[in-house]
Amino acid sequence: MSDIETPVTVRITVDGQPVDARPGELVIDAAERAGVYIPRFCYHPRMKPVGMCRMCLVEIDAGRGAALQPSCMIPVSPDMTVVTDSERTRKAQEGVLEFLLINHPLDCPVCDKGGECPLQDQTVAYGPGESRFVEEKRHYEKPIPISGLVQLDRERCILCDRCTRFAKDVAGDPLIHFQGRGSSTEVNTFPDEPFSSYFSGNTVQICPVGALTASSYRFRARPWDLEETSSTCRTCSVGCSVTVQSSRNEVLRQNGVDNDAVNWGWLCDRGRFDMESGRSDVRLTDPLVGGTTARWSDALGAAVAAIRATIEAHGPSSVALLGGARLTNEAAYAWARLAKGVIGTDDVDCQLGDGLPADLVLGLPRATIADACTPKGTIVLVGPDVKEELPVLYLRLRHAVVEDGATLVELGHGRTGLSRYAARTSYAHPGGDLVERARLVAKDLDESGPITVVFGRTSLAEDPAVLAEVAAIFLAKGARFLPALRRGNVFGALDAGLAPGLLPGRRLLDDAGPATAVWGSTPAAIGRDATAILTAAAAGEVKVLLLVGADPVADGPDRALAETALERATVIAVDTFLTESGTRADVVLPAAGPSEVDGTVTNLEGRVQRVNRKVTPPGTARPDWMIAVELADRLGVEFPQDPDALLAELGAVADGYADVASALDRNPDGVLVTGACPLPATPTARRAPAPSGSTLRLVLTDSLYDAATQTAQSPSLAPLAPGTVARLNPADASALRVEAGTVVSLASARGAVDLPVVVDDGVPAGAVAVAANQPDCQVNRLLDATWPVTDVRLEVRR
Amino acid sequence: MGYLEGFAITWRKFARGFVGDDIVTTEYSAGTRSGRHDEKRPKPERFHGRHVLNRYEDGMEKCIGCELCAGVCPARCIYVRGRDNDPADPTSPGERYGYVYEINYLRCIHCDLCVEACPTEAITESKLFEFSFTSREDAIYTKDELVVGDDGRPKRLPWEDWRVGDDEFTSGWVRATAPQGSAAYENRVAWSGELGYGVRAPEAGQASESATVVPGSHGHGHDHAHDGGHH
Ligand code: SF4
Ligand code: SF4
Ligand code: SF4
Ligand code: SF4
Ligand code: FES
Repeated sequence: MSDIETPVTVRITVDGQPVDARPGELVIDAAERAGVYIPRFCYHPRMKPVGMCRMCLVEIDAGRGAALQPSCMIPVSPDMTVVTDSERTRKAQEGVLEFLLINHPLDCPVCDKGGECPLQDQTVAYGPGESRFVEEKRHYEKPIPISGLVQLDRERCILCDRCTRFAKDVAGDPLIHFQGRGSSTEVNTFPDEPFSSYFSGNTVQICPVGALTASSYRFRARPWDLEETSSTCRTCSVGCSVTVQSSRNEVLRQNGVDNDAVNWGWLCDRGRFDMESGRSDVRLTDPLVGGTTARWSDALGAAVAAIRATIEAHGPSSVALLGGARLTNEAAYAWARLAKGVIGTDDVDCQLGDGLPADLVLGLPRATIADACTPKGTIVLVGPDVKEELPVLYLRLRHAVVEDGATLVELGHGRTGLSRYAARTSYAHPGGDLVERARLVAKDLDESGPITVVFGRTSLAEDPAVLAEVAAIFLAKGARFLPALRRGNVFGALDAGLAPGLLPGRRLLDDAGPATAVWGSTPAAIGRDATAILTAAAAGEVKVLLLVGADPVADGPDRALAETALERATVIAVDTFLTESGTRADVVLPAAGPSEVDGTVTNLEGRVQRVNRKVTPPGTARPDWMIAVELADRLGVEFPQDPDALLAELGAVADGYADVASALDRNPDGVLVTGACPLPATPTARRAPAPSGSTLRLVLTDSLYDAATQTAQSPSLAPLAPGTVARLNPADASALRVEAGTVVSLASARGAVDLPVVVDDGVPAGAVAVAANQPDCQVNRLLDATWPVTDVRLEVRR
Repeated sequence: MGYLEGFAITWRKFARGFVGDDIVTTEYSAGTRSGRHDEKRPKPERFHGRHVLNRYEDGMEKCIGCELCAGVCPARCIYVRGRDNDPADPTSPGERYGYVYEINYLRCIHCDLCVEACPTEAITESKLFEFSFTSREDAIYTKDELVVGDDGRPKRLPWEDWRVGDDEFTSGWVRATAPQGSAAYENRVAWSGELGYGVRAPEAGQASESATVVPGSHGHGHDHAHDGGHH
């Protein structure tokens, strides 16, 4: 699908016109590029052709005389002649359609696909108009749910093999199959095994009929009352291109758009369906002061009074800001300028202690997804389970390994979704020999192709400084890095300067550049990171805490610390929902959610893409950028007054963002911002104490469906959260005499939680793996963010 | 001076209005001269008045919430939303029913395209057009006002002036074409049965071979009979 012009072309003739096709291109694609659309059902440009439906039959003459052939299966050859509008082709198309409609129920009026259905459209355009079939059609039970998200109506299926091919070849979750023979062939799941793929929504999007429909969209609208706008998914940092569709000011559906650089048209189910949270009844609609509804002017006044009084009494570094990864770049920039240029504090962090040091992320040479997926290249995965945290990146990496011969080497603390595709896996004991293993792995790397390190936290319960050492090892091998931080626009927030010691444009504080001139001043000294900010707040040094889309209590690694910090400090929370942290805030300001603001976001590659407003925010909620602008105004500084002007000012202080707006107009697929800040000296990680025989090391991971606000507030997704379990190596399980299902207590020096056991040989011996931030369990009670590792004692509950 | 000819036509018609029988304007009432000024003049059979939402003989609603009427309406005055039928207590046959149905009569131009579009003969028009309102809310008819009552007749709302004949043939009969739109079905009865009326007799001018045709005659308990497009 890339538009790179290859000098070699193959000259063919399509309907009498000469067409220059690319070598190896399929006739159906070559004709389409030349403006001749050949009807099709089973062919999908991102999947291997199978020639199932025969709708694309055209007359092809490759030198041995014209014959009807499926154009989705035939690559072009020199001097080939293709005729798509002959009498014979027409008869074939009519025949295929009449045949496909034999068993099709034609219940278009109740079908969610009606109005945008390729079968409807192509029947009108190419069909015979009449059917000779008068017998009874095939009947099945009307829609059966094949997962919590997808319903299957087998009567409507035309057996095109798109969904099954997607599940098997693209997602690697072969959970739906053809069953039976002849006219009783049907698509279905195995009995008692739902289609629980993280990517199931894509099958709904690509099904050419209404056989697969989304429960979330069922009967909610028809295509003709939807309005749409292009945008970018902000749920994780992959930044998939989407089209947001709404009716009557409610976002009803989000579909993937093919962006060659990023998502190839696919979305994960979390990104696709968490738009449901936007129309939730429990969205914040009005400001709260002291827990009661207030007017905006009073709430902003209260916030400013607290900030001003604290600065006067205790200096600017008694005010700190956490969060910003939920914002657009424009909003992140406004908040960064508010904190660093107006208030004058550098105690700012868009990560909550669960990420990587900002200067490390911005200092390492960055790779793009395409770099990582270079055929025959090497991918080193040192980080989280990509399938759980950056799902569409998982699809791209999987494709690179399975289809393009890339080599995957995995380094971490246990099996992940990608492990089965890895040529080599090396699982370290947490706090143990990860660095040593990295050296061994690096030694054997094939250096003939590019090396990309997908780089993130292997466990949230371990000091990230270890990872800086690992990065240094691969850096020496000439590797490039694709940072795997998951929060929506964390990379935009980092680029906007929402991290200690950083200014917009990946600049260090001591090299302020144009920011000094535009802002008037920049903070004097490097500030604290999230853990240090919360520690200082708990100690009473940070007096005012601004939480901008951050919930450190539920979503941070150290619950006890966050609770104490929020108790002592005056908290001003800006969010779309009342989070656990928000309930502890003194002032709560309601913010506009995704699809409710215009702006740009930056993904993990550094690619800037547009997000567009489709609906208006509920109640009096305002865009985050506007809240920062208003606060600045009350503190006596006038900011640019709209997203475009904020982006222009960001461009003036951040080199990479200059002219980004006009570049985006030319290239809507995104503009890559390059450049890096100087790499920090590699810190020496605090060495973990040797494991004692009686404790297990905690590996804290993330899973796709967790208690994050947008997911938890989406009725389709909330029930999918897997819940918390303690995953143990079989050796440990038998030594501790526990088995699957046994409820055990995990106790650290900080706290204890009760969990059922799952025995999993993907977990290294001596470790216990637990998912963070699940709705049923507060695992972050166990952690102290200052510990290099977390040791827990496991006891069986009687 | 050509434009004077136009005026001449106007004057000629005006003058003849007093003497000849060249009057094309119909009087609204049944006749002032005959003293029947309080009666309505009989309306043509396919007159387009205010809508009704019909029900099947068993009382189920015909509307399946498909929004085809809303999609075709040139005045954009119909708002429909579908929903899943409760399998234990379905509102309409099949999977889906019209959960919200609203027509804004400040905008409706009574073109009947909605009636043509409806796959189930759910929406049709009565001959009533004498209705007025004093607020925008009242002008937006909802399912409460539009769905026929338990006798199969339109609900007579207090602000509407219903007279004898206004609710005659408020069913598939007001459609301009056969439901199938195909000449092959000419002369065949194909209306679905209706609460209060049953299956209507063949329309005047059509042969009475009603028994021969399956499409449109509806069988209970057969899930697909009403799902639209079942012909
Ligand atoms: S369910 Fe849809 S995508 Fe799958 S085989 Fe049937 S028609 Fe094709
Ligand atoms: S992978 Fe990330 S950006 Fe893409 S759809 Fe999923 S959540 Fe959204
Ligand atoms: S009669 Fe015409 S204008 Fe009135 S609701 Fe029907 S389609 Fe719309
Ligand atoms: S077209 Fe008919 S069935 Fe469909 S929503 Fe309108 S009235 Fe109901
Ligand atoms: S599109 Fe070619 S056979 Fe289906």
